[in-house]
Amino acid sequence: MFVFTVNFPIFSFSTIIPRNVFCFIDSFTGKNDSKLDPRFKMILWSIIAGTRGGVNRAKILNLLVNMPLNANKIATILNLDHKTVIHHVNILTKNELIIKEEKNYAASYKLTQIMKDNQIVLTEIMEKIGTK
Amino acid sequence: MIDFMIAAVIAALANIVLLVITVATYVQNMRLIRSYYTLGLVLVATLLMIQNVVIVIFWATLYMHNSDLMKSADMVAHYLFAINIVQTAGLSILLWITRR
Repeated sequence: MFVFTVNFPIFSFSTIIPRNVFCFIDSFTGKNDSKLDPRFKMILWSIIAGTRGGVNRAKILNLLVNMPLNANKIATILNLDHKTVIHHVNILTKNELIIKEEKNYAASYKLTQIMKDNQIVLTEIMEKIGTK
Repeated sequence: MIDFMIAAVIAALANIVLLVITVATYVQNMRLIRSYYTLGLVLVATLLMIQNVVIVIFWATLYMHNSDLMKSADMVAHYLFAINIVQTAGLSILLWITRR
């Protein structure tokens, strides 16, 4: 008996949207650091600059660069409400920028691998935010 | 029967309200982070708002004061309504993401 097999074309994200479509070329120097993933840069920018409370998210990420901290400590250091920090941390976890170290309550959070690889983007954004 | 022109204008007004909230959020961010990205977000949202303001102005002046134009505009009003209601849906999603 005949069986039709249909070969669906397999699209991956990178074939539909090529790497360089969303690249941010440095507007002053005109050069583009090709080691960075431009798609990740887009995600980080939109989550920090395109949402309410994005600056606090950037500050949380910047804290976690140095050491893993739990939500309570983040709230103390940044002088934010505990609920606010929990909300931000949940959003960041959902977007796979940070991850819980263990499963238990009050576990500390650390950066994921992709975030660690693209830390320079965060540094750039933090420079733009400055000390304001 | 639904008056599609009124419905379209109501959708346009809803779009304006959604965009005002979006722009307010973007401007708050732009005051803290000055970059091309934040400036671009504010610009895009403002231009979309102008588009909807123009629709409301068209309805309030040209459409109301010219009966010939009113007849011909009513013939295509359901298209305008479709455009605006889809935009309202899209902007609601954008606002939800922005204010989350």
